[in-house]
Amino acid sequence: MSKGILTDVTKCIGCLQCVSACKEVHHLEADEPRIWQKNDGLSAENWTSIITKPGNRFIRKQCRHCLEPACASVCPVGALHKTKIGAVVYDSSKCLGCRYCMMACPFGIPRYDWDKIVPHVEKCILCYDKIKDGEQPACTQACPQKATIFGERSELLKIAHQRIKENPGKYINKVWGEHEAGGTSVLYLSDIDLGFLSYPTNIGNKPLPDKTKTAMESVPFAFVGMGGVMLGLNWIIRRRMEFAKDENKKKDSADE
Amino acid sequence: MNRVRNTKLILWLISGFAAAIALNRFIFGLGVTTNLNDRTPWGLWIGFDVMGGVALAAGGFVITAIFYIMKREEFHPLVKPAVLTAFLGYVAVVFSLLIDLGLPWNIWHMIIYWNPHSPLFEVGWCVMLYTTVLFLEFSPVPLENFSRYARIRNFLMKYRFVFVLLGIMLSTLHQSSLGSLFLIMPFKLYPLWYTSILPIEFFISAIALGLMMITFESLLSHWIYRRKPETDIIAKLCRAVVWVLLTYFLVKMIDIIVEDKFAMIFNGSWQSFLFITELLISTIIPAILFAVPKFSRNSKVQWTGSIMVIVGVVLNRIDIGGLAMLGATGDSYTPMWTEIFISLGIISVAALVFLFAIEHFNVWDIQPKEPDALPHTLPSFDYSSKTWLGNPDVSSLTTHSLAFVVSFAVGMFLIPGSRLHSKGIENVKVNPASGFDTLFINGNRDDRFVKFPHQAHIAWLKDHNVSLSISYGNNELSINSIDSCQACHHLSLPLEKQSNCWQCHSSMYTKTNFFNHDWHAAKSGANLRCKDCHTPAETRSLRSAKKCTTCHPSYKFAAEVKNGKEKFYALSYTDAMHDLCVSCHAAESKKLKDKPNLARCTTCHKTYPEGSNGLPESLAAGLKWKINPPKFNNVILPEEKLVK
Ligand code: SF4
Ligand code: SF4
Ligand code: SF4
Repeated sequence: MSKGILTDVTKCIGCLQCVSACKEVHHLEADEPRIWQKNDGLSAENWTSIITKPGNRFIRKQCRHCLEPACASVCPVGALHKTKIGAVVYDSSKCLGCRYCMMACPFGIPRYDWDKIVPHVEKCILCYDKIKDGEQPACTQACPQKATIFGERSELLKIAHQRIKENPGKYINKVWGEHEAGGTSVLYLSDIDLGFLSYPTNIGNKPLPDKTKTAMESVPFAFVGMGGVMLGLNWIIRRRMEFAKDENKKKDSADE
Repeated sequence: MNRVRNTKLILWLISGFAAAIALNRFIFGLGVTTNLNDRTPWGLWIGFDVMGGVALAAGGFVITAIFYIMKREEFHPLVKPAVLTAFLGYVAVVFSLLIDLGLPWNIWHMIIYWNPHSPLFEVGWCVMLYTTVLFLEFSPVPLENFSRYARIRNFLMKYRFVFVLLGIMLSTLHQSSLGSLFLIMPFKLYPLWYTSILPIEFFISAIALGLMMITFESLLSHWIYRRKPETDIIAKLCRAVVWVLLTYFLVKMIDIIVEDKFAMIFNGSWQSFLFITELLISTIIPAILFAVPKFSRNSKVQWTGSIMVIVGVVLNRIDIGGLAMLGATGDSYTPMWTEIFISLGIISVAALVFLFAIEHFNVWDIQPKEPDALPHTLPSFDYSSKTWLGNPDVSSLTTHSLAFVVSFAVGMFLIPGSRLHSKGIENVKVNPASGFDTLFINGNRDDRFVKFPHQAHIAWLKDHNVSLSISYGNNELSINSIDSCQACHHLSLPLEKQSNCWQCHSSMYTKTNFFNHDWHAAKSGANLRCKDCHTPAETRSLRSAKKCTTCHPSYKFAAEVKNGKEKFYALSYTDAMHDLCVSCHAAESKKLKDKPNLARCTTCHKTYPEGSNGLPESLAAGLKWKINPPKFNNVILPEEKLVK
């Protein structure tokens, strides 16, 4: 049972109800444009935002809740983790503030409380508190157009493919989030290309944490291996030196 | 001329300056004291201080491997200083981290909360352990001065080989793991740098850098204390480094060729130039220089070569740590000067501790003294110059602490208060609206207009007898006399000239003080009629002035009460517009059942088809010159800039 969200870009009217619902539920303060913000409307106080594209296309941006999240795999203290229900949640009491998660997220999602003296990482948590009690997230609930809906990820995928089939030509034949970066819990249907949601427009289908796996798995071997090599080297060199000493002695005695 | 004292003086000055900045960083947070941002959450402190710092401290494990493992006794004079440098280097790295981390007091969490998948977790642990190991490796040296602790010292000496071995093993791990940190960012790091063998490249370059750090550190400290450099031993290091650099170069090149990126090196992008520069400085030139036997024995070449490798490899760390990512993130991060000074400050403090240690402990085979030291004279205080004379240790202490305090004060003074107190809110000037009957409001710089049909609004207001009150700031504004323009234009200019929103609401996001004292003063005769507004015989200040409303009873002002005095200000442009427009629209849309869209954001904030901006052609052409290019915080993405 892994939950998710499906956002249909063609249905969104850009009314920002989801944004204000999210702000209300999570007690996020009013946002002011700060020098450290990015262009997509997300900020420490905005966990979701609407990106406007030409031709009145509105795309809701939020954390994708990757199936294999890069952010959680790099966090040195495990402050971020993927829950069984699908949400990638954040535990501020563990966090060090190293901001590695922000560096690693391919969608550029996590934001930082740059202005706070005790700063935390801020991002959508799929309303974990609500969904674990069987409710739906505030944003999907608020949407007047049912443009963004909540449900089982597998169900949502079915719905998405069905919509594509039933409306030929309306959508690009792709469900964004089905495979990208190993798949994400937040899915998109769209009639325009959504490549801009991730850093490179095409991040491939392999989960990012795999990239570090080999290196991390070889750590113990490198550790022990280096120790072995150094000891061996030391042993050889010592023996050589002893040999040299013996040789010298022999030579000395031969001279006498 | 005293080289030692002047060096220390400079180091103290920088430390004082940096201390002031560090203090502010903790008081005001990272946002306003650095240029770090949501696109570039890791900046100079990670790229240079942490990644460069760890690499620079590689001398420790390299020299111990040469001396203890490979038994090359001739390097003995270099061992202790190199271990000391490494130890101080790691301590410096930890301090930089404490400044960079958002929640530095949680740094120990790595001990209790584990995530072994994270390269940073591994680096953290290694740095922690290795710093301890270095401490144990080095502590026999200062302990020599205290016979009381001979037991501990003997114990440490006995197990030194174990520490050394452990140190090398730990170094191998984290030197390479620093490279693993970036394996997860193939999408950000420019392909010339990104490779799955980053950890291996990091390890090899760390060895090269280690060798050159030993060289440089020895040359530099001998220069400061005016001693003869250990040219012959160093020449051996320089010859060794050729092989390491060659390996590094080959590994890198083979990888680039195998991954089919060779053509990229010459593709003319700034990244390719950076890559070539980095490779030339860090590897090619020094390797060629040192490959010539005559050169490797020349101390001038040793200086040049070692500095090149150091700068080059550190540049490599900075590139990978952020510089080579700017292309993908589209950010234009340049470190703020505060970041640079913190980095310099940390180096300075480490250098001061280093100098202290070599003066007081047997780090070198011959312990240096500050020149002109007279160890047996007691210092005496000279009242005329207010300094200690006689013992240079004490007298320079006075100068140095004074230098620290002064530069601390200068640092505090130089940090721009406006930035610290801005809370990071952008200071953006408002673009005036243009048009007449229909206004085109482009207050924000995003090249999208809000169409405001002025005449239609007037007509509508006249038809409907509107009566509603709007709260803005702490004030209430009632619109019930629709005949008066003042309902919306709540402050008319002298002679009942119409006022435009931007004239008072001149800042996009911050409230501003719009009171123009010069204008009022000039109007009533400068310096002659102050008493018209200010209570006579009192200090002329806001406190002693009349309220604006005394003379302008019909104007609507927003005010806040501060220290018992009303202070008038204009709301930010966005707040003013939204307060006025939205509150009316929201109220009216409730009444008009057939127009529920009236209060939706998108009703006014429209995106128009590419190119047209929704404006009449003629007007659009005339407006172009006024449009500022979208800047950092713009809501639409750059590629859709409508007017180029
Ligand atoms: S989108 Fe980014 S922040 Fe969200 S789960 Fe994936 S990696 Fe983590
Ligand atoms: S900033 Fe916090 S949540 Fe993010 S990786 Fe670092 S410790 Fe983990
Ligand atoms: S799921 Fe919850 S936290 Fe995430 S955007 Fe929606 S309302 Fe906000």
